[in-house]
Amino acid sequence: MTEPTPRSTELTAYLSHELRNALACIHQFGNILIDGLAGELSGEQREYLGIMLENATKIRRVLDSALDGNAGPPKELANKIERISKLET
Amino acid sequence: MDSTKILVVDDNPTIRRGLSVRLQANGYEVLFAEDAISATAALVTERPDLVILDLGLPAGDGFVVMERLHKNDRLANIPVIVLTGRELAGNRDRALQAGAAAFFQKPVEDSTLLFAIRKALDVSRGELRFDD
Repeated sequence: MTEPTPRSTELTAYLSHELRNALACIHQFGNILIDGLAGELSGEQREYLGIMLENATKIRRVLDSALDGNAGPPKELANKIERISKLET
Repeated sequence: MDSTKILVVDDNPTIRRGLSVRLQANGYEVLFAEDAISATAALVTERPDLVILDLGLPAGDGFVVMERLHKNDRLANIPVIVLTGRELAGNRDRALQAGAAAFFQKPVEDSTLLFAIRKALDVSRGELRFDD
C-alpha cells in the first residue's frame, strides 16, 4: 500500500467535497419528491424516481469505499478492480 | 408553544434549500447562514436550538464556528450536528472532539439526520443523556 502524497490527499479532499455535495442534492430532492413533499406522484413517476435514488445510493457506496475506505469496495467493484489488475500484469 | 429553531450553515444554496424543505416538513423553523461570519452573527442574534454545520465554509471553516460557539457561555450548550462533504480522516474525530453532537458525511439519510436532531435536542434540554 503506497502512502498518500500531498497531491493525492488534496485531490481526495476536492473529490469528496464536490461529489458528496452534488450527490447530496440529488438525494435530498429525490427524497423530497418521493415522500410527496412537493405534491403527489403517479405510480410510474415514483417507480422511475426510485430507480434514480437506488443508483444514487450505489454511487454513494462507491464513494464511501473509494474516498474513505469505509467498508472495502462493494463486491462488483472489487471484482472489476481485480480484473483490471490482471489485465495490467 | 415556540417552534424549535434550527440554524443551517452551508455555503451551497441547493443544500440549504433541500434541508429547509425537509426540516420544515418536520415542524422545525429553519434559519440560514452561508459562511462562518454570518453563522456567528446568527448564533448570537437568533440563539437557535440546534445547528447543522458544514465544515467547508468561506470566511473561516466549521471548526471556527464551533470554537466561537463554545467560547460563549450563552451559546455553548447549543448542539451542533456536522454535515459535511469533507473526507472522514482528520475531520470526524476533530469535529467530535470540538464538541459536535454528531458527524455525518453528505449525503445522509433523512431518517438518520432527523433522529440525530431529536436526540441532540433531548440531550440539550436535559431530557436524555447521549449514552441513552
